[in-house]
Amino acid sequence: MEYKADRCGYCAACVAVCPHEILKQDENEIIIIEGCDDCGKCTIVCPLGALNQEEDYL
Amino acid sequence: MKYDVIVVGGRIGGSVSSLIASQNDLDVLMIEKRQEIGTPVQCAGGTTYSTFKTLDMKPKKKFICSEIKGAMAHAPDGREINIFEYGLMVDNLNIESPSKGYVLDRKIFDKHLAIQSAKAGTDIMVKTTAKDLIIKDGRVCGVVAKHLGKTMEIHADIVIAADGVESNIARLAGLENPKKPKDIGSCAQFELVGLDVDPQWLHFYFGREIAPGGYLWIFPKGEDSANLGLGVRSSKNTAYHYLKKFTANLDATPVELNIGGVPLSGPIGKTFTDGLMVVGDAAGQVDPITGGGIHIVTSCAKIAGEVAAEAIKMEDTSAKTLQRYDVLWRDKFEDGLKTSLKYRRAADKLSDKDMNALAEYLVTNHSEKFSKLGAVKFLGKHPHLLKLIKEFL
Ligand SMILES: Cc1cc2nc3c(=O)[nH]c(=O)nc-3n(C[C@H](O)[C@H](O)[C@H](O)COP(=O)(O)OP(=O)(O)OC[C@H]3O[C@@H](n4cnc5c(N)ncnc54)[C@H](O)[C@@H]3O)c2cc1C
Ligand code: SF4
Ligand code: SF4
Repeated sequence: MEYKADRCGYCAACVAVCPHEILKQDENEIIIIEGCDDCGKCTIVCPLGALNQEEDYL
Repeated sequence: MKYDVIVVGGRIGGSVSSLIASQNDLDVLMIEKRQEIGTPVQCAGGTTYSTFKTLDMKPKKKFICSEIKGAMAHAPDGREINIFEYGLMVDNLNIESPSKGYVLDRKIFDKHLAIQSAKAGTDIMVKTTAKDLIIKDGRVCGVVAKHLGKTMEIHADIVIAADGVESNIARLAGLENPKKPKDIGSCAQFELVGLDVDPQWLHFYFGREIAPGGYLWIFPKGEDSANLGLGVRSSKNTAYHYLKKFTANLDATPVELNIGGVPLSGPIGKTFTDGLMVVGDAAGQVDPITGGGIHIVTSCAKIAGEVAAEAIKMEDTSAKTLQRYDVLWRDKFEDGLKTSLKYRRAADKLSDKDMNALAEYLVTNHSEKFSKLGAVKFLGKHPHLLKLIKEFL
């Protein structure tokens, strides 16, 4: 799972759904701790496509 | 450092609970991880009159963008339904109709609430993040906080977790688990200048091509601008994708982009433990159909502040005492939230065709009273809807 910091709006929706609780929100960045199994849940809820969104919507 | 109460999160849930606790002479600290309270905005700002009744506060011009007189729903085929006229909004759910009320400027409103709380005596620390809970012998007794790179322990008899959708504090206390993606509304919104809308009307648009698993809203902010946003639950495209699609041909330009996640799962199972209460989005105190939380969060946060005051005065901040918060807020809202969740699950199964048929039924039966015979005929023509209604009942 790839995190594109320059597409992130720091809303923490991804943090709310990560089953392994490896996404943490600091003031202005998402920190990814080890242990991602690429389940894709964070990708589904990210409003801006900052998490492994293949297509470019911008 | 030691306080009676530490509130984590400085928006509606945090400011209202800290305000009430401070008004009751408690020693209160509120910490907010952002450097400015109220930003970035993650809200469309629509709320009911009851929010101000709860707060016993006069709505002030500086944060009221417009007063709303009605709302229009737009079916996928473009058919329009005047929500207010049809009384469609869930009056029996103890959830007030969103078709009458205000559109707030959340930036100013949230800051105003924090200022009221500070004036009542609350200490506020901004750019300060709660990283962990201090737990001793199974009871919460403070937070580990970080401010400008410096980590500190701050002790308190009660922690109120008002940290929003990520609900990290409740998780640290073992009260909350990660949510399923279908229980989060993924939202994107523009504040647009140049949209030609009636400043007293809300608009809601439905349809799989517009906002799958959710809806699109237009909330006017006076004469000059409007919040146009949407919430989706879909793995196909992002909320921003649908926002860009809808606004592509509008003759209006954005001056702000807001994003956010709304918890649509209804309330979490338990909102208290020894030394801790959970309020607001963190506790799932949001209507699962509309995604509206302001009026519910305000009321629940007020109860949390009051229960904190009682507990400190009794010198008993155990789960047994704080349970009163859970009982009181559920008494007011739980039935409504649960019914709303049931409606949401039923609505999840509606296709665009079903929604168009429902809209057509409502519009054609507009002048008549909704007759039983008419309803039976309608459902006979739409067996899928009949099946859904049976499931629902
Ligand atoms: C796009 C969108 C539109 C919406 N529109 C409406 C609407 O029109 N009407 C309505 O009634 N509701 C609406 N809602 C819902 C409404 O915004 C929320 O229910 C309400 O803001 C919840 O308030 P809260 O105080 O519980 O949480 P939040 O407003 O989420 O506040 C939580 C605060 O805690 C801070 N925080 C988080 N973690 C920490 C930490 N570890 N340490 C310190 N601080 C922390 C955050 O920075 C934030 O300021 C909308 C939501 C979204 C996303
Ligand atoms: S892909 Fe799954 S495990 Fe990995 S960060 Fe996202 S939600 Fe967490
Ligand atoms: S959901 Fe997307 S935009 Fe929001 S914090 Fe996570 S990565 Fe950033």
